[in-house]
Amino acid sequence: MKSKWFTLLSIMVLFSLLAACGSGGTANTGNTGSAGESPGNGTAEAPSGGEGVTTVQFWHSLGGKNGEYMDALIQRFNESHEDIEVVGTFQGSYDETVTKLQQAIASGTGPDVSMLERAYVQMFADAEVLEDLAPYLEQSGISADDFTPGLMGHSYFNDKLVSLPLNRSTPILHVNKTLLDELGLSVPTTWEEMKEVANALVVKEGNEFKRYGVSMPYDTWYPIAMISQAGGSFFNEDNTSIGFADNGAGEKVFSYLKDLQSTGALYYPPAQDSGNIVNSMFVEGKVGMIFQSTGSIGGLASTVDFDYVTAFLPKDEVYANPTGGANVTMLSSSKNKDAAWEFIRWMEMEEEGGLEFILQSGYLPFTKQMVESEQMQELWAKEPNRKVAYDQLEFAVDTNKDVAWPEIMHEFFSAIEAIMYDSKDIPSTLDTFKKETERILAQ
Amino acid sequence: MDKKRIWEGFRPYVLIAPAMAGIFLFVMYPVGYLIYLSLFKYNLLNKDKSRFVGLDNFTQILGRGDFYKALWNTTIYTAGVVVLTMLLSLLFAVWLNKKGRFNSIVQAGIFTPHVVSIVSISLVWLWLMEPNQGLLNYVLKLVGLPPSDWLQSSKTALMSIIIVSVWQAIGYYTLIIVAALQSISPSIYEAAALDNASKFKVFYKITLPMISPQLFFILIIMTIGSFKVFDTVQVMTGGGPNNATTTLVYYIYGFRTTNIGYASATGVLLMAVIGLLTFVYFRLLAKKVHYQ
Repeated sequence: MKSKWFTLLSIMVLFSLLAACGSGGTANTGNTGSAGESPGNGTAEAPSGGEGVTTVQFWHSLGGKNGEYMDALIQRFNESHEDIEVVGTFQGSYDETVTKLQQAIASGTGPDVSMLERAYVQMFADAEVLEDLAPYLEQSGISADDFTPGLMGHSYFNDKLVSLPLNRSTPILHVNKTLLDELGLSVPTTWEEMKEVANALVVKEGNEFKRYGVSMPYDTWYPIAMISQAGGSFFNEDNTSIGFADNGAGEKVFSYLKDLQSTGALYYPPAQDSGNIVNSMFVEGKVGMIFQSTGSIGGLASTVDFDYVTAFLPKDEVYANPTGGANVTMLSSSKNKDAAWEFIRWMEMEEEGGLEFILQSGYLPFTKQMVESEQMQELWAKEPNRKVAYDQLEFAVDTNKDVAWPEIMHEFFSAIEAIMYDSKDIPSTLDTFKKETERILAQ
Repeated sequence: MDKKRIWEGFRPYVLIAPAMAGIFLFVMYPVGYLIYLSLFKYNLLNKDKSRFVGLDNFTQILGRGDFYKALWNTTIYTAGVVVLTMLLSLLFAVWLNKKGRFNSIVQAGIFTPHVVSIVSISLVWLWLMEPNQGLLNYVLKLVGLPPSDWLQSSKTALMSIIIVSVWQAIGYYTLIIVAALQSISPSIYEAAALDNASKFKVFYKITLPMISPQLFFILIIMTIGSFKVFDTVQVMTGGGPNNATTTLVYYIYGFRTTNIGYASATGVLLMAVIGLLTFVYFRLLAKKVHYQ
């Protein structure tokens, strides 16, 4: 009897010890923007019944601080519209939202309006589940030219306007200026300068690197940016194959990265949680520069204790950068299209809608009116780092647009891993990737 | 009288009907639907855009290197986990079979991981295995051994996952084996002692055959379980680096949004592989298992 109690007790003690260790979350940030930090922002508001009130369901992927800003936006809308009630629901990360949308649409329980990560827009549009917004724009007297051109890359599908930009970001170079100044280095603007600066930043003790030059999260975003900089494009012009194998751009990008990696000038992080790893290394001064989303500017600026600046991604042949983040779409299955459109219109165009959200969150301004607004100009004067992100949009180019992109992305990740982690032969890896892509595109 | 006889004929079917309804609804129907989906290039969002492709998905799977890679990883993982767990838990069980306060503590200790969620365990090990700041490499360096990259190199990643799974599973299976050991009648051991049988022989000729039903059960359960491994991979490596830890189920998961037909076809293959394995086990090993 005694021994039984003893066993029970020891189990409890051990268990509480383990519980005390706790566990952190694994938010995969650094992806294409920053979504999904803390769940629990479930339904923003319960629909309050009432005569003649139309309810609009809106799904989004913004958790944490950005989720609060989005909830505030929805509340502002509801307060100014007596006949429409928008119910915002946080659905997890971009990918989780996509999975849930697929199931909901198939079973006829989809929302009226949804946030959709821009790379998935084509896939949804091809399945004919997104409403063409062009007639609504016309009806409200808005022109497609009112939007920031660099952010409209994923908005059209077969001449239909299927989505509008919402929380958008681009990759940008984040620099520890204090460190560079100490070594008498200037912020690199070309790949060549990048190589010199990154190598100069390396600190090695014995076999261990104490400091690396540059780093980037594990993502397709950064290699794609560099492919465009080297004069390639992700897909070829008629979307039948990739556009960076035969012209040598892919080989150039990856051998450049491998070259940097071999001297410690580049730290390529492990895949899991790479965004957080890279950010914390930057904050701790273990790496001098990082390629990272513009969505990180706010977070980094508030945590670093050094002179922190942003700059354009260095150019090779040209300056170039893809865009990321999510767009807003209206689903064809919606029964309250007019109310849904009113919400989208208000969110995109009105000052207390989108502009306020953008000012708070740090995403890129998506209409020209926003850019020219007094508030935005004031913010930029105060925080020039944010202006750099917007200015870089002049060189925004998205070359990975295809219905099959999500599937091909999967293969591209495999190629990146083979090269960056296992140092597999670059030409043959790219060749395998090219064949897989051609097979998928031919389907 | 006649009525009663009819009822007696029907009664068993009526009694099992609720259970059968459940099995049909939650097992048979989904399996059937899985096979149906595997014959399509299926569009989740818009059924009208789905295309019947016959066995195309299967020919595609069997022609792709990454499927074989996943199958190979799963096989290595299963073999590693099953063999290591069986050996270690047998060893622990034989040791812990003797009663004692110290043994109770150890038993409670090794059982604890089984109580904890596998996701928490994976996260804790993720820290322990971190190459630069992790505890494991710190200890390795302390005793003068070269540090390992653990999860971050394609050479050691699968091994690291195996270690975590074995660590988590040992306690539970030790418990089962200890129970089995204690159910062996002491009179058999006494008889062996009278015959002056060596310790090894007693273990080999008495203990092992007597607990063989439990060992067989563990073997089957663990093989099937290991073939379906997912959570540790999802949390710790995401299938990487370079597909070094992509197991079959994780492979299927990778296609969940983009190609549900292809994922279903892989699921059908997984089912076939596990079915085949179980069948082989029963044919080969059933004779060796000693039921009292």
